[in-house]
Amino acid sequence: MADYHVIETQGLTMRFGGVTAVDHVDFALKDGELRCLLGPNGAGKSTFFKCLTGQLTPTEGTVTFKGHRIEGHQTHEIVNLGIGIKTQVPNLYDGLTAYENVRLAARRKHIKNKAGEQAERMLERCGVHDLAKREVGLLSHGQRQLIELAMVLAAEPELVLLDEPAAGMTGEERDRLARLVKEIASHASVIVVEHDMQFIRQIAKQVTVFHRGQVFAEASVDEIMRDPKVQEIYLGKAADVAA
Amino acid sequence: MDFAVIVFVEMLRAVAWLVLLAGGLSIIFGMMRVINIAHGEFLMLGGYTVVISSQQGVPLWIGILILAPIVVGLFGILVERLIIQWLYGRMIDSLLATWGLSLLMIGGITMIFGNTTEGVSAPLGAIGVGETYSIAVYNFVIIGCAALFLVGIYAVLKYTRWGLIARSVMQNPGMAQALGVNATFVYMATFGLGSALTGLAGGLLAPLTGVVPSMGVNFIGQAFITVVTGGAAVVAGTLSSAAALGTISQAVTFGAGPVYGDAALLVAALILLRILPQGITGRIFTRSI
Amino acid sequence: MEKPLYKDIGFHLCVIAGLVVMFGAPRYFDIFEVYTYISYVVLAIYALSLAYIWGFGGILSFGQSAFFGLGGYTFAVASINMGTTGFPFLLAFAIPALFGAAVGYFMFYGRLSDVYMGVVTLVVALILFKLINHTAGPEYSIGSARLGGFNGIPSIPTLALPGVYGGVELLDPGQMFTVYMGILLIVYVGLRLLLASDFGRVSVSVRENEMRSSLLGYDVRRHKVIVFALGAGIAGMAGAMWATYQTFIDPNAFSLERSAQALIWVMAGGVGTLIGPILGAVGLQWLSITLGEMQLINNLVLLGVILIFLVLILPKGIVPSIRMWSLDLFTVMRRQREGLDPRTGEAPPPASSSQPAE
Repeated sequence: MADYHVIETQGLTMRFGGVTAVDHVDFALKDGELRCLLGPNGAGKSTFFKCLTGQLTPTEGTVTFKGHRIEGHQTHEIVNLGIGIKTQVPNLYDGLTAYENVRLAARRKHIKNKAGEQAERMLERCGVHDLAKREVGLLSHGQRQLIELAMVLAAEPELVLLDEPAAGMTGEERDRLARLVKEIASHASVIVVEHDMQFIRQIAKQVTVFHRGQVFAEASVDEIMRDPKVQEIYLGKAADVAA
Repeated sequence: MDFAVIVFVEMLRAVAWLVLLAGGLSIIFGMMRVINIAHGEFLMLGGYTVVISSQQGVPLWIGILILAPIVVGLFGILVERLIIQWLYGRMIDSLLATWGLSLLMIGGITMIFGNTTEGVSAPLGAIGVGETYSIAVYNFVIIGCAALFLVGIYAVLKYTRWGLIARSVMQNPGMAQALGVNATFVYMATFGLGSALTGLAGGLLAPLTGVVPSMGVNFIGQAFITVVTGGAAVVAGTLSSAAALGTISQAVTFGAGPVYGDAALLVAALILLRILPQGITGRIFTRSI
Repeated sequence: MEKPLYKDIGFHLCVIAGLVVMFGAPRYFDIFEVYTYISYVVLAIYALSLAYIWGFGGILSFGQSAFFGLGGYTFAVASINMGTTGFPFLLAFAIPALFGAAVGYFMFYGRLSDVYMGVVTLVVALILFKLINHTAGPEYSIGSARLGGFNGIPSIPTLALPGVYGGVELLDPGQMFTVYMGILLIVYVGLRLLLASDFGRVSVSVRENEMRSSLLGYDVRRHKVIVFALGAGIAGMAGAMWATYQTFIDPNAFSLERSAQALIWVMAGGVGTLIGPILGAVGLQWLSITLGEMQLINNLVLLGVILIFLVLILPKGIVPSIRMWSLDLFTVMRRQREGLDPRTGEAPPPASSSQPAE
């Protein structure tokens, strides 16, 4: 079981005109693993992420999820295979309440009566139950992130992809998110794209560092932190690290 | 050989005609992201200007080349001040409002001049090609006007101060305003210029088809398709899509008649847009003007 | 949003009012008036077709007359050839719906922007208008039906639906009115039921946020194609009713004026509602017929002025104002129920959402 790769990319490449944003990336995630993708702005991690979620069709290479080739598939197909996606910019129905948003997501997995219960459970699980009746368009960025996470979890995905989930969060919200991500990782495989080092230190064991579109290093979080070359990449990007 | 010359000139004329027909619309769309649904009625207004002025004894060429652009250009500025300026950034609303204007103009002209076709006699003759064929000299006027228009717009946009301002507004209106460009004036001038060109196209049309209040409907389809297919770049977009679509529609017209030429235009455009949703210049020639 | 349809008092009132008109009008008004009112009913169905796709699917069609005309011509050709009207009536729904699906495929799978979509739909109607105008010669015949070009197709049979008045033709305007009104009610109730179903909720969710909907695993593009095709089918049915009501159809069924009418009625009545566009169609059609009789003003001038007025005078712009109304499903009513300000709600504005973008 441990060696089973839930998602795997081979030679994944994405070019925009003359720019190669992702350059022949081979990546594999073991079943049940929690992995952080790390790298300064422009390193290609978000582009890589979008190739996994179907928001971009890679120029070359393959993405395999549980034996299915999914590169170039549409987002909804990928979601229906059992991947939960949280995009970088929160995507919510702003006119609906938090409960209604999550309930809509729960309907995909559960029949009518169960969907409501599922929605309640997910709001509870993400610690935003007190916001259930609030309209999400009026909430803070961090609160919206947590509600979107509840939507992702409501469909009970096997693989969860999170793009910068901690952005815009208060310290307390971030701690809650860290606990939550660890808890999710006990049921599902998780990939987190993040450049907030503090947050990564809280959640991750294994880290993949992107630099200039390629995998620069892949090791445990402590090794990565000590690696002088990684430090170097981040120098001059100090603001991001501190964020 | 003679036939080949005819076909070539006809193709060239078809392309040139699309350039003239869509040029004014394309300037307005490229600069302001507004599609003027009343475009056909602006053409009609240009046509009426020529017919009425020549009935009053004004020489035909003055009517076509001077009066029609001035009248329709001024009308365009008026429309911009009264309607369009309130709707920048609200693209769908500007479509709807100009559609209202289109209905209003058809109805208004019908009330004034009646619903009958009026015409002026076509100027210039034809020149023979070989023994059996001839080409109307007027075709060369159309081709010449289209070429002049493209070269003129390119030169103005590329090499003049006004052109630089116009391009800056095109690229980033907010930034241009922060740099002290009076975007309001640029928009007004652009709408006026686009309208004037449309007036010229309408004026050129008058001797060929005569004028009638509902004539716009016959031409807006081609104009819209050309602009939408071309994308936001005025010169490269108009020229590339006019070349592609004009050739296709003219080929089909030769084979099956003008009505099917139009239908072929639409089908070609739909397929192109399926591949390039932002128009030709949305993907290729992205840096062009 | 979870309020079931059977608890919606407004819906019940609309249906009851519809039934009263359906059976009452033929008794109360004289035959000529009733004959005129039939046209209102047909046009109300046509308005519903756009009200549905625009208000609840977020798809703005500038060429709804393409489907109206196609439905009318389909019915004319099929009924003249077959001698019956029941099956041609179904065809008049199916063929425009299929055509709508084809156009929708190109638009939605091409991910065209709103403006491009408006222009493409407009051009589709325009080209059908031109094509059909050029079918005057006898070589343009389908079976025994001559398309007739700009002269149109005369002698279209009057509708006779099996099981309605024993399947005989509806020659009596009173009967015709009742049957047409019945069809309007069926379309209205059908759309309300559809909107209350899962499919309808997905439509609204797609209109509100396409990306989120596809992240929930909904096939947004396919969904929009279906919504658009359904609207096309309803417009086609209205076209068939128009053809059989007038026993005649000509290319004006495809005209841009017809497309503009639908937009104006829906805008006047309110995007995001169904009853509004019905009232808009009836009210404005009555106005234009009345003014037309007085020969005061050209009908096109009237339509144009109304359209410009609607766009310019609504202060926040049509779409945002409309959004206020259409969100009433979710927002305004709930806020009012909870005693909050219906425009802003009560909560503080969201914190700055600035974030580093990679």
